[in-house]
Amino acid sequence: MPKGPPKSPAIDHEAIRELARLLDETGLSEIAIEQDGASIRVARNLSGNAQRTLQAEVPTALPNLTAAPAPPSPTQHPGLIASPMVGTAYRAPEPGAQPFVEVGSQVKAGDTLIIIEAMKTMNQIPAPRSGTVIQILVEDGQPVEYGEPLMIIE
Amino acid sequence: MFDKILIANRGEIALRVLRACKELGIATVAVHSTADEDAMHVRLADESVCIGPPPAKDSYLNIPAILAACEITGADAVHPGYGFLSENARFAEILADHNVHFIGPRPEHIRLMGDKIAAKRAAKGLGIPVVPGSEGDVGSDDEARQLARDIGFPVMVKAAAGGGGRGMKVIRTEAELVRMLAMARAEAKAAFGDDTLYLEKYLERPRHIEIQVLGDGKGRVIHLGERDCSLQRRHQKVWEEGPSPALNTAARNTIGQTVATAMSEIKYLGVGTVEFLYDDGEFHFIEMNTRIQVEHPVTEMITDIDLVLEQIRVADGSDLALSQGNVKFHGHAIECRINAENAVSFRPSPGKIIHYHPPGGLGVRVDSAVYHGYAIPPFYDSLVGKLIVHGKTRSECLMRLKRALDEFVIDGIETTLPLFRALAEEKDIIDGDYHIHWLEEFLARGGLET
Repeated sequence: MPKGPPKSPAIDHEAIRELARLLDETGLSEIAIEQDGASIRVARNLSGNAQRTLQAEVPTALPNLTAAPAPPSPTQHPGLIASPMVGTAYRAPEPGAQPFVEVGSQVKAGDTLIIIEAMKTMNQIPAPRSGTVIQILVEDGQPVEYGEPLMIIE
Repeated sequence: MFDKILIANRGEIALRVLRACKELGIATVAVHSTADEDAMHVRLADESVCIGPPPAKDSYLNIPAILAACEITGADAVHPGYGFLSENARFAEILADHNVHFIGPRPEHIRLMGDKIAAKRAAKGLGIPVVPGSEGDVGSDDEARQLARDIGFPVMVKAAAGGGGRGMKVIRTEAELVRMLAMARAEAKAAFGDDTLYLEKYLERPRHIEIQVLGDGKGRVIHLGERDCSLQRRHQKVWEEGPSPALNTAARNTIGQTVATAMSEIKYLGVGTVEFLYDDGEFHFIEMNTRIQVEHPVTEMITDIDLVLEQIRVADGSDLALSQGNVKFHGHAIECRINAENAVSFRPSPGKIIHYHPPGGLGVRVDSAVYHGYAIPPFYDSLVGKLIVHGKTRSECLMRLKRALDEFVIDGIETTLPLFRALAEEKDIIDGDYHIHWLEEFLARGGLET
């Protein structure tokens, strides 16, 4: 949504376009950079109306930002389940069995979501609260680090 | 040779180990806590795994997490560095149970040297000179009194499970014996959960001199001379140098050979350091460190032997490539441990380094993992880096040290650089005339402020 002509000739339009593109790719709601004393912040309103806040308003038209926004970064989602340990993630109790949960599954607090194997020990990761699994971020058998996003429950 | 080594440490030693691995063509895995995501060892390693939150007990001391990191990366060996799990015999055993090599001595030797009483007994049995004192537990107050009379005051009591100065008391007269024993027991109990004490002759003004050894686990052991680490504050080494200003070639060869022979007898594997108090021409065993030490570069600079590289080679079962005859000492080296602390109060100063300029030039080495813009996290030790200088003679080395200290810029945090600049100007230091209490006496008389 254009918001008038640039008020400062020093605005780096290319950089802003680049940031806006990154914003779109990553699904983030805001990116701020500081370089050579100048700072640029590119942000948008995730509820639908895209909005770009810059040091000075610039007319970088990015029509796709007015379309449906990408989901927020999983690491910032309040329903994120992060791996409590390093190990190998398994989505099912044994090879070939039904996964504990799928996208759309209803879970109750305490239900097993996934298994993390560390030192030949299978650690069941329970749901911290009840809800619906809206996103699963790991493959079966994938190595995970401490803090790595596993899934999102809403 | 190992294909992939997991480095179970952080900071400058993680980087030091990584350098040796790269020169050996071995792939590296860095493990780190969430506080060390931006650390240099993580950035330079081939792979990295986040193993836990900032507290060391949940990350760098977390054995299951480190093993899981070995499993997911396929590392076939672990280098523990120093501190953390480097002297944990149980860790070495668990790794072995999971078919992962521990780059260090065999668990029984770690365990033996980790128990101060057993270590002293073993050293004595192997012909290493020890301080006169109790063979083991000091026993009752009456037994302690009798022993102290036999040895002669002053005496020192230490926690059997101890280290780092806790549970350690100097007893100067018989009158204060009972009170000091009680205090030492209480401290030992609080710090280590074990109030076993031992008692030994207290040496008034000894030097701390340690012998570096390297063994292949099959009975071939060489010594790489000594380091003099007498300049200490609260039992923490501050300045280390080699050779010691107090030893001549004959004394060096005699103690070095005694230690090498003893280590050969137990078929010691890897690098190790046997520490002594040196007083009046006599060596007295204190303890043995069964790992690479912070101050190992001093020895590397005067022998041209890469200790970490040799440590990795022998851990893989290779024969020792060096013989005692190959070990030639040349010149002099000094290491300064630069900490993120106020140089007067020694208050820790974590934070962001806004400008970093390490010194350079011939004979100057900086082992550090910090960089411009790096933030020192508050969770771990305060070592910023080690400045190691080499010269053909001790006086050349001291002049080079002074100019290197002047070149060193670390802005944004407080460091102990001013302390070293002052030390390099002190007559006793220039003369090599110091002992293990010298630095604390210097600080107590406000040596730095004047």
